[in-house]
Amino acid sequence: MATTTNYGWTTPDDTALVKDGAAAIRTLGSSVDTTTKNLNPETTLGDIAYRSSSANVKTRLGIGSTGNVLTVTGGVPVWAAPAAGGMTLLSTTTLSGASTDISSISQDYIELRVYMYNVVVNTNAVYTVKTFNGATELSSVVGWRMSNYSTPAYISGSSFRLTSDDALNQEVSGADNTNFWALTYYDYSATTNYKNYLYLGNYTNTSAAQVAWHSFGSVASNSAINKLRFATTSGAFTAGTVEIYGVK
Amino acid sequence: MSKPMIRIHNTETDEVIDREMTAAELKQYEANQAENAIAKAEAEAKATAKAAILDRLGLTADELKTILG
Repeated sequence: MATTTNYGWTTPDDTALVKDGAAAIRTLGSSVDTTTKNLNPETTLGDIAYRSSSANVKTRLGIGSTGNVLTVTGGVPVWAAPAAGGMTLLSTTTLSGASTDISSISQDYIELRVYMYNVVVNTNAVYTVKTFNGATELSSVVGWRMSNYSTPAYISGSSFRLTSDDALNQEVSGADNTNFWALTYYDYSATTNYKNYLYLGNYTNTSAAQVAWHSFGSVASNSAINKLRFATTSGAFTAGTVEIYGVK
Repeated sequence: MSKPMIRIHNTETDEVIDREMTAAELKQYEANQAENAIAKAEAEAKATAKAAILDRLGLTADELKTILG
């Protein structure tokens, strides 16, 4: 009996008898029907199909849940929830005293993003942030600092201020309560390389002018960062919030 | 006289402790303040010197920016 090239469907031979035509067509039709179904196993809106381990037979993959992504498990495609990512709020701290330590910061993320806002000190002051590994201060940084109120300043050594370098306007006004800083520490948990940081901030200075400020640099230490210390050079924090986010 | 207060927030336990600085912390705090005062004085002296030069030249800070720009 003759067969087709690709799917091996049985067809009548040239010498087959006409009286056997109906049966031959039924056989061919059944084969076509079976193959077509094997190649199109989807049953529901959104289903997809992939090749199975058998030739000319596909496997149905039902539509996934909302938000799922297509991934591979055991060599075949599957729908799954996307891997966790984005920002996770790790802690919220109200600033108080001459300094506030935020310790035991999780080491499970790639970056630390720190938001510090609505900070109030009972006098004009410079704010600082320092990084630690446990009780050990990571006391050396190099970088660059600039703002609309000062010429750019090279940072070297133990300089951790969150304000400009302008002589008369370096302090945050004690009356300012609309300030905001965003601090990012890259690869903060690494133990084999220094950590880069990027700081952005805005505040009202002692001339009642708005200051936009930024700084970038490197914490010169191989030790992981797991504690931050926020401090004021004068007075004490009477308000202010620090949110720490882990970023993956 | 009471020492300055500090806050410690342990993010693992969410425990918040407010306490006075220890003697060592106070010493460091005062050293930082002194360092900051020196830096501020230096910056102010630099600004004063800059203003004096501009005054001698008969220029305002804005005019200097225009020249340098």
